This record gives sequence, C-alpha cells and structure tokens, in this order.
Amino acid sequence: MSDIATKTPPEAPERAPSPKPRRDALWWVRKALWLAVLLLALALPLYLEAEWLKAGQYMMVGAVGAIGLTLLTGQAGQLSLAHAFFLLAGGTAYTVLAGPTGDPELVGFGLDPLLALLGAIAICALLGLAFAPVAGRLRGIYLGVASLALVFLGLYFGQAAENLTGGTSTGRPPAEFSLFGFPFSNEGDLEILGVPIRATERVWYLFLALTVIAFLLARGAVGGRVGRAWRAVRDNEPSAAVMGVSVWRAKAGAFAVSSAYAGLAGVMTVLWFDLLKPDESEFGTYGINVSIAYLAMIIIGGLGSVPGALVGALLVNGLPQVLALYSTELGWSTGTGEHAFTPILISSFVYGAAIILVVLFEPGGLAAIGRRIAGRLSGKQRERKGT
Amino acid sequence: MTAPELLVRDVTLRFGGLYALDDVSLTVEPGSLHALIGPNGAGKSSCFNVISGLYRANEGSVTFGEHDLSHTRPHRLARLGIGRSFQNAALSPHSTVLDNVMLGRFALTHGGFLSCGLRLPWTRREERKHAERAAEICAFLGIGAELHQPVGSLPYGIVKRVDLARALAVEPSLLLLDEPAAGTNAAETAELASTIHDIRDELGISILLVEHDMGLVMGIADRVTVLDFGRVIADGTPAEVQADPEVIRAYLGSENAEAG
Repeated sequence: MSDIATKTPPEAPERAPSPKPRRDALWWVRKALWLAVLLLALALPLYLEAEWLKAGQYMMVGAVGAIGLTLLTGQAGQLSLAHAFFLLAGGTAYTVLAGPTGDPELVGFGLDPLLALLGAIAICALLGLAFAPVAGRLRGIYLGVASLALVFLGLYFGQAAENLTGGTSTGRPPAEFSLFGFPFSNEGDLEILGVPIRATERVWYLFLALTVIAFLLARGAVGGRVGRAWRAVRDNEPSAAVMGVSVWRAKAGAFAVSSAYAGLAGVMTVLWFDLLKPDESEFGTYGINVSIAYLAMIIIGGLGSVPGALVGALLVNGLPQVLALYSTELGWSTGTGEHAFTPILISSFVYGAAIILVVLFEPGGLAAIGRRIAGRLSGKQRERKGT
Repeated sequence: MTAPELLVRDVTLRFGGLYALDDVSLTVEPGSLHALIGPNGAGKSSCFNVISGLYRANEGSVTFGEHDLSHTRPHRLARLGIGRSFQNAALSPHSTVLDNVMLGRFALTHGGFLSCGLRLPWTRREERKHAERAAEICAFLGIGAELHQPVGSLPYGIVKRVDLARALAVEPSLLLLDEPAAGTNAAETAELASTIHDIRDELGISILLVEHDMGLVMGIADRVTVLDFGRVIADGTPAEVQADPEVIRAYLGSENAEAG
C-alpha cells in the first residue's frame, strides 16, 4: 500500500476481504452463553417462589422498556425523558381496549387481549410519531426537557380521564391476558415436572417471550440498515443526509419504535401490577422517577447496547425488588413512611452511584466492559494461534 | 457509464450581508476531474454545500443532467448518483469500517424496522450482496484489511480513505471530494492523488474536488476553478490557472495575511 505502483485494480483485489465477521471460538462461546441464559429463564419458574418470579417479571418489564430507550437515545442520539408517558399510554390503551364493555363509568372495548396488546403498541408508536415534529427541532438536553413535559401531561390526563384510567384513588384493573383462549390465570390445571403452572408462572413465560421478541427485533434493527441510519444521524446529520438518509424520517422512526417498546412495557406493567394507576408512588407507576430509572438502565448498560439495556434493567428494576424480598426474609425492619430506609431508597443510592461510576470511569457502560473482556480473550486466542 | 454534466450557474449565497458566494458559475464536464481551489474562506466549502443541498442558494441554479439540484432535498442526492466525502471525514467512530461504508448503500437498499428486525430472507440477501460490494470498494481503496475495525481506532490517513469508500459506495456518477488530503502527510497525499486519478479512470465518473494542496490539484486536475472572496477569479487548465496573475495575487496575498 505504500507503493503507488502496486495499487490493486478493482477486478483483482490482493485478498478478497470477507464482509462477514469471523466465527471464532468466542462467537460460539457467546452463542452458548445466550442459550444458557434462555434455558435458565425457562427453568426458573420450576424452582422459584411466586414472589421471586414477580421480581423477575419486573426486570423483564424494565428490559423491554430499556431496549426501546437505548434504540432512541443510544442509537439515534435522541435524549428522551418521556418514557414514563409512553408506558402510561400503553398501559391505559391496553386496559381500555381489553376492558369490558357496558360499564357505566369506565370505557372499554372488550377486545381480545392479544389484539388489545397489539393495539396499545400501535397507539404508542403513533403517539411517538406525533411527538416527532418536536424531536426534529430540538436536540440534546433541550429535547430531554421538552420530552419531560409529556410525563406531566400524561399524569394530568391520566388523573383527569377517570373513565379511561379509573383515576388515582382506585385505579383500574386490567383485563387478564389470554392467548387464543389460553388464560394467564390460575384457571385450569397445568403442570410441568410436577410443578403447577399458575398465573405467576404463566405470566413469567409470557413476559419472557415478549422480552425475547423485543430483544431479537432490536438486535436485527441495530445490525441492519435502520440502525445504520440511526447512528449516522446521531453522529453527523449532514453526512447522513448526503448518504441518502432522511434525517427527519430517521428521527421520527426512532421515536415511533422506542415509544412502541415503551407501550409494550406499559402493558406489561399493568399486567404485572394487576392494576393501572396513573400516579407517582413506588412501583408500577408512571412518574418522572420511572423515566429516570429507564435512563439509568441504559447508561449503566452502555448507551446503544441492546444486551447492555437488558443487564441495566436487571440491576435497576431488580435491585429494589430483590432487596424488598431479602428484607422480609432477613427480618430487617425497614418501616414505612417518609424517612424509612426502604429498598427502593437503597437501590436509588446504588444505581445513582453506579451511574456516577460509569460516567467517570467507563462512559461506554457495561457493554464497553464486556467488549473489552471479549477483546482480551480473542486477543489471547490469536496470540496462542500465532505462536 | 456516462455521467451527466454538473452545471453551477450564477449562484449567489448570502449570510446576512456577507456574500459567501457571489455569482459563481462552473461546469463539471462528464468524466472530468475538476478542482475548486482558493485561499481560506474563499467559499469553496460553501459552494460544495450548495451543490449537495445542505445550503440553499439565494440566487442562481445548480443542475445535474436534467435534475435541478437547487430544489432537491439533500437526502435525494445519493439517489441521483452524487457521492460526497467530507473535510473532517464525518464518520461514526464507534462503528466498523464496513458499517460506515455500508451507509453509502442506504439509498440503494430497502427495509425498515420490522424487516431488519425480523431478518427477513430478502433483507438478509440484499444486505449480504451489498456488504460484498462494500468490501470490494474497500479493497480497491486499500483498506480491505480493516473492514471489522472500529473507525475510531484507525490512523487518520485510513479514516480519510474510509470516508472516500463511503462516498464511492453510493455508486456515484459524480463524486464531490471536500479536501481529501486535509490532515494527511505528504506520502499519504501522493497515494491519495493516484487513487483519485484511478477512480476517475477506472470507474469513469466525474469528480469535483475542493483542495488546498496545490501539488495534488495541479498534478491530477483536468480543469481548475479558482475562487477568492466568493467570486470566480480564474477558470482553465492547471497550466493556465497557474500563470494567471490574479491567482498569484490571491494566493500570495492570503499567505502574507496569514503570516502577519
């Protein structure tokens, strides 16, 4: 390459470079690890108590939402604090669409729960698109603040529209999920290896399926043409445009996709909590703390990384749940009230500290640490092969 | 492949009262290597941005074949066969070389969130086909070995080639190069000159080149347009332009000003 005369003509490249990444041992290790995680997740309901399964379900709710946010904020570079709003919108849409008809005080369309779930996702995607004109004009922290307005709007409308949400005082129970007539409740006798598969176990498998679908779709999109356009817009808008990417469409698309994910996470939230309640208390709700928790997940996991979002969700949504379970098990008197040292308070400190550590020492988050370890391993492997 | 002619006619670009471009006209003949030069702040990059639709001219027109570029939105240009490289490379540093070059295939490929997400068979087939072509282009530019390296980890001379590869991945009939030699050393500049020449000869496309490095320009350009303070002060073959007293004055003047 240093000599001009030896430059290669296009017909006969000196070595035909393969556009495919190598399938080395590390690639297989990675596949095997994912498979092991999936098998573990499939087996857990056979061993764990219902309250632990509940904690796991909440992690999966977080995972779906965080994957959506990392696509928008990490891949497309659009800071959004509106995630809680889209969660609320998704939860409300599901509850209304699947709600029973004929109630004098509550609006319901009596749709099949699966249709209601898909409808909720579609409604949230459209709401995301509706926000796109704002997103197209603002960037960075300004967009974050503008999107924050949606959270307050959502809570206000959620409290005002009692015939949809049931209001803050009572909330509204969602219709039980069912898939082609199979109920996700305690109905019917179902056993695997002698373990009864009741509502909690069934919802676990439902959430696992949704999380896997959400994960695979996101991975495919990130690796394909769409993800490339998002990253181009994030890194340099003029060059993205010159390469044929409509900047406006890419941003709007990212918002729609991310909102759809948040909508699904909202549906999962009401199914998990078994209640739609548009307020700001600790779990299963839609205040600004929820938006910030999602942001924490993707920062800890590494902006833009889909597996990172998954791990971030395990930490941020899992910690308060697990701590709460341990505190009862170990007999901590955590107490309640304003000054109580509650699990959610402890975990807020923990993930607050985690964010500071990430920002200071590894801005790429857990994903970057993972990549570094993988890089070391494959480097060692090559060394061994080379010598 | 015969490229259409690029015609810049009487273009004026104002920022408030400041004339960035004042009545600029130039023609890039099909298959020619045309250079646009001038001292700092002469309006070269502005001219480029008008051509590639990032700025809108206040007056005048830009046409490419039968297409009126002055009313075309920037992301449509790639579809018309216009590729562009950037002065500062403007790549995604965390993405691999291949991923960056594949962005150039955006206008040539299809598929949205669901078809990419579901990895539909035709989407994957298309992706594979275009990745092979992208790898071929990288090999042609001598960066075939770095396909899977993140761009941020590569030396600047290579990064400039990745930018060039991305512009070529558009399969352009007109290539706009914005200071391809900026920030590269003498050896890299010489290599680049020969590469640019090869691109023109082997792919038969027209090239419009903005450049500071006079050696590079005079060695390879078929025609040179010189801008100074937003005006065209000379237009001709490299030899004609080099002998032009206006050009000598503009360059010496600017260099004296820089020294002071």
